[in-house]
Amino acid sequence: MRLYVPILVLAVLAAGFAIFSVTFGALAGPKRWNKAKLESYECGIEPTPAPLGGGKVPIKYYLTAMLFIVFDIEIVFLYPWAVTFNKLGAFALVEMVAFVVAVLIAYAYVWRRGGLDWD
Amino acid sequence: MSPAYYVFLAVILFVIGGVGVLVRRNAIVIFMCVELMLNACNLAFVAFARMHGNLDGQVVAFFVMVVAAAEVVVGLAILMAIYRARKSASVDDANLLKY
Amino acid sequence: MSLAAATIPAPSIEYSQLAPMLIVFGAAVVGVLVEAFAPRHLRRPAHLVLSLGGLATAFVLTCVIAGSASIFANGSPGHNAAMGAVAVDRPTLFIQGTILVLAFVSVLLIADSAQDVSPFAGQAAAAPGSPEEREGLLAGLVHTEIYPLTLFAVGGMLLFPASNDLLTMFVALEVLSLPLYLLCGLARRRRLLSHEAAVKYFLLGAFSSAFFLFGIAMLYGYSGSVSLAAIASTVSSNTGSTTLLFAGIALTGLGLLFKIGAVPFQSWKPDVYQGAPTPVTALMASCTVVSAFGALLRVFYVAFGNLTWDWRPAMWAVAILTMVIGAIIAITQTDVKRLLAYSSIAHAGFILTAVIAASAAGLSSSLFYLAAYGFTTVGAFAVITLVRDPGGEADHLSRWAGLGKRSPLVAGIFAFFLLAFAGIPLTSGFTGKFAVFQAAVAGGATPLVIVGVLASAIAAFFYVRVIVLMFFSDPVPDGPEVVVPSLFTGTAVGLGAVATLVLGIVPGPVLDLANHAATQLFVR
Repeated sequence: MRLYVPILVLAVLAAGFAIFSVTFGALAGPKRWNKAKLESYECGIEPTPAPLGGGKVPIKYYLTAMLFIVFDIEIVFLYPWAVTFNKLGAFALVEMVAFVVAVLIAYAYVWRRGGLDWD
Repeated sequence: MSPAYYVFLAVILFVIGGVGVLVRRNAIVIFMCVELMLNACNLAFVAFARMHGNLDGQVVAFFVMVVAAAEVVVGLAILMAIYRARKSASVDDANLLKY
Repeated sequence: MSLAAATIPAPSIEYSQLAPMLIVFGAAVVGVLVEAFAPRHLRRPAHLVLSLGGLATAFVLTCVIAGSASIFANGSPGHNAAMGAVAVDRPTLFIQGTILVLAFVSVLLIADSAQDVSPFAGQAAAAPGSPEEREGLLAGLVHTEIYPLTLFAVGGMLLFPASNDLLTMFVALEVLSLPLYLLCGLARRRRLLSHEAAVKYFLLGAFSSAFFLFGIAMLYGYSGSVSLAAIASTVSSNTGSTTLLFAGIALTGLGLLFKIGAVPFQSWKPDVYQGAPTPVTALMASCTVVSAFGALLRVFYVAFGNLTWDWRPAMWAVAILTMVIGAIIAITQTDVKRLLAYSSIAHAGFILTAVIAASAAGLSSSLFYLAAYGFTTVGAFAVITLVRDPGGEADHLSRWAGLGKRSPLVAGIFAFFLLAFAGIPLTSGFTGKFAVFQAAVAGGATPLVIVGVLASAIAAFFYVRVIVLMFFSDPVPDGPEVVVPSLFTGTAVGLGAVATLVLGIVPGPVLDLANHAATQLFVR
């Protein structure tokens, strides 16, 4: 049974976070309803009745998608490092910080060059 | 099930991708075929890693995924540029450079 | 509950031995920061300092490492740095030094902005002929990203021949290729040609690297490791499936031969060389070829060194096809950049004859040939940037008619480069060809050398044809203007010409250096 205690703790924490965010958001945030907010989430495309422009999506969407792919894939290197973090120690920490800084520099370039602006 | 079957599957996927590159005419589809070939390589690496009982193949698969993502970004940027200039993504239309 | 507390020994990385590559990559990353935060007018000077300074520092450090007593103590052939992933040995250092010098000269060409604003598109994202493009031109927009891209490519080129396992080699291959795909598509003039070159290079390059990767998978299946030394030891212990081994050799060989542009994997080369901006062509024709040959030599000497009898027949066929087809198709060319592309294919064939020898002499003569050929190529492409029409460079050969009468100096220097390509005595081309053919004969490949000499004779025909066209035909009316070279381009042309002359008249020191570098072959 003791093995499952951490999972229970995690479940409680997760549920607590979800309940807290939703309640706090509902209490603290301004309430301005509009059409977009009431639609089902479809990544910027209108799902029904017919997609806008024959189902084509704006080209800006692809820029965002490409940026997402690049930064998302970098995570793949963090997993093995996180699993062996205790065993690898300071050396791996320094190397991983260097790696994350390199990724951040790319991020800074994208941000400064307007890659993150939608319009 | 023997891991060798996965290697055969990888070879089949690789060949499908390779044939796709040769017969398709849309640059984006050609590019997707190349990605299929890279993923076939990944499958082969993981299967061989299982056969040899070491992790090298899985590590390679990680790197290949990252390289493939970088290639997608560079490739789509180039293909987008040529599509906007020519209004066509067919590789048969790109025929200014010859002989 | 508690995880096993056993610690994995932390990997060690010899930063000082990898310093040249780290500096080039570091300069590239700082270049990205410059792009992100520096004001527009400061970017170009900052990039110039970073690129040229980074390459020069890396070259000095390469020399320091080559002279290091500790790495090469007690007759050691070198050291496997970074847990055996990167080799530090004399042939690699020779190749890296060559790449760094050639890259320095290429960056001079890339940075030249005297002719018009720059040889690169102001806004690559704007479609050719669109209002956005015109607006960008009027606003004087320039792409300064070319400098970090070049540095990333050069960093990949340094790592490619040094990688001692196939995973590192694959990553290095992509790091060098991806920026080059982009650079190819960034020409300011004739943008459709440039785009087309980038698409062709990208699709074929990605296709070939998929084959290379599948070859690596086969070799991994064969030996259970991607390290070149482990593959070699599995070969000598003769365990494992030979099907996987031969499939692996063929597919990895295909990927490497594609990068050097050997027949039948040459079809991208003329198109890409013609369509890419000329400074980028200079970078590809010199540095990429040197780097790819370095990787080819390492893989076939270290991993497949005991299988010489198995891969030699196939390499013979490739070398013969490369020399003959490169030389014959070059005769029909009417575009000077395409002509040099086919000439580069033929030269790849000449170097392959020495690679096939699989000996110290073969290695040292390849190293010398690569250095000599690289300088001549950079110089020749630098001259091409000088001969201009109102719409850009005058690439068509008919425009070069009578150039010798209008500007004898430029035409003379170009003729000198062509003679070096042809292998006329007193140029570096002669010394290089002599060395590779000598190594090939010593390696028992006399028929190959006979084919090589015949191909050189065919090649000499079209080089001489261009010289005759420049000096003995009448100038075309309203012919191209020969611009006065700026300091940068002038330096590039001058360095190319001086190196071609010096390596032709007193090749001794560099030949000795190449011999010294090759005596112990590669570190395992």
